[in-house]
Amino acid sequence: MATTANSLRLCVRARSQLSALAICPSQASPLRRALSTTPARCAEEGVSGDADELGKKKFYDTAGDVLKDLAKVGKRQARLAQPMLDRWEQLPQAEVARLDKLTKEVIQGTAEIRRPVKVQRNSFWNTNEPDSDMITDEIGEDDFEEDDMTSMAHGKLEEHREYREYARIAIWEMPLLAKFATPFQPPKGDQVLRFRYTTYMGEIHPAAKKVVVEFSPTDLKDLTDVQVMKLKKLAGARYNPEKDIIKMSCERFEHQAQNKRYLGDLVNDMITSAKDPTDTFEDIPLDLRHHKSKVKHRFPKKWLLTEERKKEIEAERQRSYHLDQEKKASGGLIDGVKQIEQMQQLAPVREKVPVRVLR
Amino acid sequence: MSAPLSLRCLLRPSAPVPRSITAAASTPSPWTATFSTTASAQKDGQKMGTPKKMSAKTKGSVSTHMNPTGKKQTMAKFKKNKGAKTGKPPLPGERKALRKRIQLSNNNALPVAGLVELEPKDLLDPTKVGTMVALPGEMQDSLRTLEAFKPTQFWPMFRQPATLIRSETVDLIAQMQEAASKKQMLRAVITGERITGKSLLLLQSMAYGLSKEWIVINIPEAQELTTACTEYAPVPDTEPVQYMQNNYCLKMIQAIKKANSSVLAKQATVYSHPELPQNIPINSSLLALLNAAKEPESAWVVFQAFWKELMHKDATRPPILFTLDGLQHIMKISDYRSPAFELIHSQDLALVRLFCDTLSGASPLPNGGAILAATTRGNAPRSPSMELALAQREAEQAGTEPPAHEPYFKGYDTRSEATLKSVKVMKVKGMSKLEARGLMEYWASSGILRATVDEKAVAAKWALSAGVVGEMERASLLTMRP
Repeated sequence: MATTANSLRLCVRARSQLSALAICPSQASPLRRALSTTPARCAEEGVSGDADELGKKKFYDTAGDVLKDLAKVGKRQARLAQPMLDRWEQLPQAEVARLDKLTKEVIQGTAEIRRPVKVQRNSFWNTNEPDSDMITDEIGEDDFEEDDMTSMAHGKLEEHREYREYARIAIWEMPLLAKFATPFQPPKGDQVLRFRYTTYMGEIHPAAKKVVVEFSPTDLKDLTDVQVMKLKKLAGARYNPEKDIIKMSCERFEHQAQNKRYLGDLVNDMITSAKDPTDTFEDIPLDLRHHKSKVKHRFPKKWLLTEERKKEIEAERQRSYHLDQEKKASGGLIDGVKQIEQMQQLAPVREKVPVRVLR
Repeated sequence: MSAPLSLRCLLRPSAPVPRSITAAASTPSPWTATFSTTASAQKDGQKMGTPKKMSAKTKGSVSTHMNPTGKKQTMAKFKKNKGAKTGKPPLPGERKALRKRIQLSNNNALPVAGLVELEPKDLLDPTKVGTMVALPGEMQDSLRTLEAFKPTQFWPMFRQPATLIRSETVDLIAQMQEAASKKQMLRAVITGERITGKSLLLLQSMAYGLSKEWIVINIPEAQELTTACTEYAPVPDTEPVQYMQNNYCLKMIQAIKKANSSVLAKQATVYSHPELPQNIPINSSLLALLNAAKEPESAWVVFQAFWKELMHKDATRPPILFTLDGLQHIMKISDYRSPAFELIHSQDLALVRLFCDTLSGASPLPNGGAILAATTRGNAPRSPSMELALAQREAEQAGTEPPAHEPYFKGYDTRSEATLKSVKVMKVKGMSKLEARGLMEYWASSGILRATVDEKAVAAKWALSAGVVGEMERASLLTMRP
C-alpha cells in the first residue's frame, strides 16, 4: 500500500503544472549570455553568490506572489490566474498569514537541501570534483528527484506508444499493401528451385543475408535414374529421404543476392557433375545415416468402432455369454475357490491325537 | 501431532560418525601396549573405531545412527531382514545349484481331475489345441536330463508338470513328423517376443522326439558355450583352428546317454573308430560307444565318432532332434581368445560349428529329423545379423519384400547370415483366447487361481497380457510364486 500511495503522490507531483510553470518560467533568463567560452562569474554578473538569497529569489514567499507572477507571463496564463488571484485576495487575513507562515517554514526547512554542494578541493582523489570532460554531468544524474514517473512506468508508456504505432500502421497503411498483392501461381515444371529469404522488417540482422534453396532431385526431368542417384549421393547429409528433398543454405557472402547466386551456381555444378558419366558412383550405397525418420503412430483403422465392428463385438459377447451358460449348466465352469473347498472336504480328516501339555 | 513425531522427519540417514580417534586415545585401554611394532589384533581395535573398519562393519545397513551411548540405532524401515546366520558361507557351486534347481512338483497344489498324459498324437491333433497334457514320469526324467526345463518357468507351482497344446505346437510337430516320414530334415528357428513360450515349444518338440524314439540332443543354454565359462582347447589338425570344449561335451554325452538310452542301446555301430581311447568293435551299440567317454579328454573325439555313426544312412536309424536355446549367443564373436589373443568366432568352436553346419543345411541329417534353434530375449546379446536374417526369412515366407542390409552399418556377421540363409522361421506369438482359457482352467483346477474362469475373466487377462503366456502368468500367478 505504501508503495502505491508513494507512486500516486509522485505522479500527482509530476503532473502539477502550476508549480512547474512557477519554477521554470518560459521566459529566458536575462542572466544567460548568448555565447561565451569562459565560465560565468556570478559576482560580476550581479547575482549574489549567497545561497540563501538565491533560494529566496527562486522560491516565492506567498502563493499570491506566484499568481501575480503568473499573470505577467502571458495572456492565457493571466486569464487563468486572475480568478485565483481574486479569490486569494478575498481570503481572511488569518488564513493568509497561516499559509504564508507555512510556506516560509517549508522554505526554511528545505534550505539545507537546496544549498549547492561545495567541492572539497583537498579531498582524496578529488572525489567530488565534477568531470568536465564528460558530456553529461554525471553527478546526481541518477538521483530520483521525485518529479517524474518511475523508469518502469516510462517503459510501460513507451510500450504503449509502440503498440499504438503498429495499430495505426495496421489500420491505415497495411490495407494499402493489398494493391501490390499478386495471386499465387504454383511453380511450373521447370521451376524446380525454391528459395527462402529472411527479412527482419528493415532491421539490420546477421541472418538477413542467408538464403536457403530446396529442390527435389526427381523434379529434374533431364536426369536419368542413375544420375539422380548420383546427385543424391553428392548432396550427402543435405538430402532428406523422407521428403526426397535436397536443402542447402548459404550465408557466406555479404549480400543476399550474392548468396543466392552462389547457390544457383552450386546447383548447376551438382547437376553437371551428376551428368558426368566418368564415375556414376553406382558402387557406393546411398548414405542415409544422417536421417532418422520419425515413426508416427496413428490410430489403427481396425480399432475404429464402426457399425460392423459393434455388431461383431456384440456377437462375440453373445457367444461368450452362451458358452459360459452352457458350461455352467453342464458343470464345466471351473471356480478356483470351489475347487479348493471340494478338495479340502475330500481330504482325509486327521484323527486328533492327545498331546501332553508341558507344565 | 506430537512434536517428537514431526521432528523425526528431520532425522536423516547419514554415515555413522566415527568416534574421534583422539577422544578414544585420550582414555587408553589398560591392555594396549604403550609402544609396539605389531598391530594390536584385538577387539579393542574395532572399538577404537577407525573409519574404515566402521564402514566395513555397517556395510549392510542402509541407515545407522550413533546415539550418545555409542550404540547403533537403525531405522526400522531400513532394517534388512538377514536370514538366520549359520555361520558358514555356502560352498562353491552351492548358490548356483540353488539358482538352477528345477522343482517339478508341489504337493500343495491340487491334482487336476481329467488331466491326461501326453501322447505323441495329441501334439499333432488340431482339435486338442487349448488343452493341457501331463508329461509322463519317464519323459520328465529324460527332459530333466536334457535340461529342457528352465528355472524361470512356473513348474514348482503345480502338482505335476503339464503343458498346453498350442496351435504353434501342432504346427511345429506336424512339420517335424512330415520331415521325418520323408527322411528329410526340418531346419527351423523359433523366434518371438519375450516370455511367449519359445523354450516351451522346444520342450514340446523334445517330448515328441522322446516319445517317438528319436535321438534327442539338446544344448540348453548356448551362452554356456560361448561366454568363456567352460574349458576349451584347439582341435589338432584343423585349419582354420577349431576349438573343442571337452568338459561341456562330456556333460552333453552323459545327458544324451541318459535321455536316449533305450534308443541308443538298439542301434549298432557301423564304423570302427581307431581314434577312440577304447576299442569299440563294429556292431556294438551306440550306448557302448558313448560309454567310451569317461574322461573329458576323450569327450570330443567320442562325440565326433557318435556323430559320424548318426550320419550313417540307414533305414533302421531313428531321426535326430537337435535343439539349441539362445541362438543369439552363437551368432556372434565369442568371449574366447585364441593363443594370439584374438577373439574367436563362436562358429570356430567345434560343437557350435557342428550345430551351425547342420542348421544351415551344409551337412544334412541323412536319416531325417529336425534341428531347431530358439532365440532368447531375456539375456541376449545384440546380433544384428541374426535379426536381419530372421526378418528376411520371415518376409520371404510371407512373400513380401525382404529387408536389406544397412549399407554403412559395421556390426554384421557374414558367417551368421550364411548359417540362417535357408532356415524356416517360426514366430511364436500370443495365445488365442481358447488356449488362454484352457490354461486358466488348469490354473484354477490346480487351486492357484482363486477365480471363476469364465469368458469375462479370460478376456480380462488376455487383454492385459496380449495373449503372451509369461505375461498372463505374471498377471495371475505372480502373487503365488514361491
